[in-house]
Amino acid sequence: MISCEFDRRRFLQWTGASVFGAMSAQLSLETLASAASSSSLALTTPILVLVTLYGGNDGLNTVVPFTDPTYHSARSNIALSSSQVLPISDTLALNSSMPAIKALYTQNKVAIVQGVSYPNPSLSHFSSMAIWQSASPANAVSTGWIGRWLDIQPHNPLNAIGIGSVLPPSMVGQKRVGSMVALSGIQLPWGPIAALLPRLGRSSSSDVPLEAAAASSITDLFSTARALGPLVSTSPTGSLLSEQLSLVSTLINANVPTRVWEVNLSSFDTHAGEQADQDALLSEVDTAVSSFMTSISAGARSNDVTVMIYSEFGRRVMSNASLGTDHGTSAPVILIGNTVKGGLYGEQPPLNALDVNGNLKVTTDFRDVYGGLLHDVLNTAVSDVIPSWKTALSVH
Amino acid sequence: MRPAPSLAQRLATARLLHRFNFGPTPGQYAELLQRGFGATQATVLERGLADPGLDSVVAPVLADLGPIPQPDTPAATAFWNAINGGSTELVTWWLDRMVAANHPLTERMTWFWHGHWATAISKVTYPLPMMTQNNTLRKYALANFKDMARVMIVDGALNYWLDNEDNYLSSPNENLARELMELMTLGVNKFTQDDVTAAARALTGYSTNPSNGMVTFSAKQHYSKALNVLGTTSELNAESLAALILSKHENTKFIADRMWFRFVSSSTTPPATLARSFASRDISSIVSTLVHSAAWSEPRNALVKSPVEWFVGACRALRVQPSTLSAVDVQWKLSQMGQIPFNPPNVGGWPYGQSWLSGVAFQYRFELVEDIMTKGDLAPLSVPKSKMVQACADWLGVAEWSRRTASTLEATGTPADMVIAALLSPEYVVSA
Repeated sequence: MISCEFDRRRFLQWTGASVFGAMSAQLSLETLASAASSSSLALTTPILVLVTLYGGNDGLNTVVPFTDPTYHSARSNIALSSSQVLPISDTLALNSSMPAIKALYTQNKVAIVQGVSYPNPSLSHFSSMAIWQSASPANAVSTGWIGRWLDIQPHNPLNAIGIGSVLPPSMVGQKRVGSMVALSGIQLPWGPIAALLPRLGRSSSSDVPLEAAAASSITDLFSTARALGPLVSTSPTGSLLSEQLSLVSTLINANVPTRVWEVNLSSFDTHAGEQADQDALLSEVDTAVSSFMTSISAGARSNDVTVMIYSEFGRRVMSNASLGTDHGTSAPVILIGNTVKGGLYGEQPPLNALDVNGNLKVTTDFRDVYGGLLHDVLNTAVSDVIPSWKTALSVH
Repeated sequence: MRPAPSLAQRLATARLLHRFNFGPTPGQYAELLQRGFGATQATVLERGLADPGLDSVVAPVLADLGPIPQPDTPAATAFWNAINGGSTELVTWWLDRMVAANHPLTERMTWFWHGHWATAISKVTYPLPMMTQNNTLRKYALANFKDMARVMIVDGALNYWLDNEDNYLSSPNENLARELMELMTLGVNKFTQDDVTAAARALTGYSTNPSNGMVTFSAKQHYSKALNVLGTTSELNAESLAALILSKHENTKFIADRMWFRFVSSSTTPPATLARSFASRDISSIVSTLVHSAAWSEPRNALVKSPVEWFVGACRALRVQPSTLSAVDVQWKLSQMGQIPFNPPNVGGWPYGQSWLSGVAFQYRFELVEDIMTKGDLAPLSVPKSKMVQACADWLGVAEWSRRTASTLEATGTPADMVIAALLSPEYVVSA
């Protein structure tokens, strides 16, 4: 059984006081409806798809330093043998559960940024995911990086969309929040009351901020229904990553005016029995992302889409006796797209120079990865979203 | 007859009922507004009294189902049917208790502690150890937190959930030790990685029978040398580790902050006196301090009702026992909203606040209201049409409708439609 101690909703606790202040702008239904119907996304406009892996994916068994004897000695009970990996260089290989991503790598469509984290990495799921989603390691801030990007865009409730029901903190800004779409489809209220309910979404001068946010979420349902309803399946489904990404590819190919998408997969917290669990999870990632890329590549937006796959931390170099690994630090970030310049970026952290807790050192700051995506995909200066951060790592 | 209650009093009274008692039963809000705020404070704190509502809820009888049978056998089919049936029954049982309770504080606190010691059946698999843990949380819900922690640290479901059955002497598994300190007792950054490693050693030697949650201790498998945890060096087992951690003053602030956050406000910080009221770790004292705090008339202290809190509140108001609805429908819709009892998403428990306010959540709230309405008792709206909108606020425990909502309610054609709109309104979804 896959363990599920940590996933996105746990992390959402972090949002707390912060999210409180942010509300979707108070727009009338009419404005939303016209925005949604009139603005299909112009071809060649770039699109970002964030794939969040909750729980701390073991980077060393994802992009494997398979020739390093220290790798095999430090985690002899879970180290992958040469038959369990797919080499991508003389020293590194992908987990063999990722054959389709390996094939994309061979076509130079996969960039792997190595050793990614931030200074003094936190070993707490909760704190570390908050840092990744807020892009603020030193100070806890109330907004997410995509939320701050939303704050400086012309308002459109469809600018950023997450799949599911619970809003991810990355999409919470000071003024705006992203929208959510359920995998099970958009079902508007029915019956005689249906025509009246949109009125509950109007703002009222007596609203406290949370009431205003509740009202705006009602409006949000009607606006996403108008724009996306016919495109979204209404049959109940599961929540696996493939289904989420399949929905996203459908919507992207329909040219909905959305620049950022968020999907996620949980249960990467492999303290025990790691190999079988992680293989299954990476296999899900591999199938989901490669099917998504096939669908995108067959459509008109083949060159518009960049996928980023990340987790809140990697795991300890040395395994524990329960065939698992405890919380760690840096790990690879994987970027995929037809216009991505494939290959290895940054430096692989050495296994013989660990920090005091036996964890990998950090060789790339994740804000550089965000910087590249903000510039290349979201056409925004990095410092407009991550104050005082100026550097960027471009994979385009 | 007292003068008409002020808006501040209506607000404070509604907040206490929604936050500590899962919302008012029909007539209760209006009655307490008449009796005054002191009576409201006393009422929401009631416990240990005769409770015919709770007595009417029959607990499921869960068997120890033993090891998981080989797949694709008749035994496996029977086993998984028993697991699924028992799990569904367990959720319905607890929802029924929350709705039926005449004095709901203990159920409400059990719900809070479930989110605190967040253990999920998604991994534990067996409903029996989940029910055992639930009864432990209920037993200690308003007792001393030191006692609760001492018992919970050897709770079978928690140990299995956090891999402690895989915590071996040769190379400890840190999962339980870290989350115990970070999420359950002290808070992040109140301990070091060395403390985690040492605490994990203190927790070696405990094995859990997953099917019944029995935890047994083997001295041979336990790390017997002295360990340095949080600055103290001593030989430690689970109980003495719990006592050592609970001796730290950081624990009082951590629990006090968390309770403030979940009961009072996620946008303001508690007064320093709150942690002091938890110095003895007596949970009933801090709950009483919260109920008697000056925070309740402060407009900023709004909270979003979680999906379960919203659903239970609506059922209490409409006198609908969840077990009279389709369990599969109700539980599927709650899970679509992201919250089903016994299955928190992870060890950190459920999110809160604006995270629950998506258009998708509204969609499922509507569907749940439609289910509730099939059995709902609308008698409180049997008043002249001109008084219905106000009667609806007095019934559901809403301090005041906004003009938006009042005009929407006035436009509805039937009492049933008015209730649907009221339960979906921002004023009801949020405990403003």
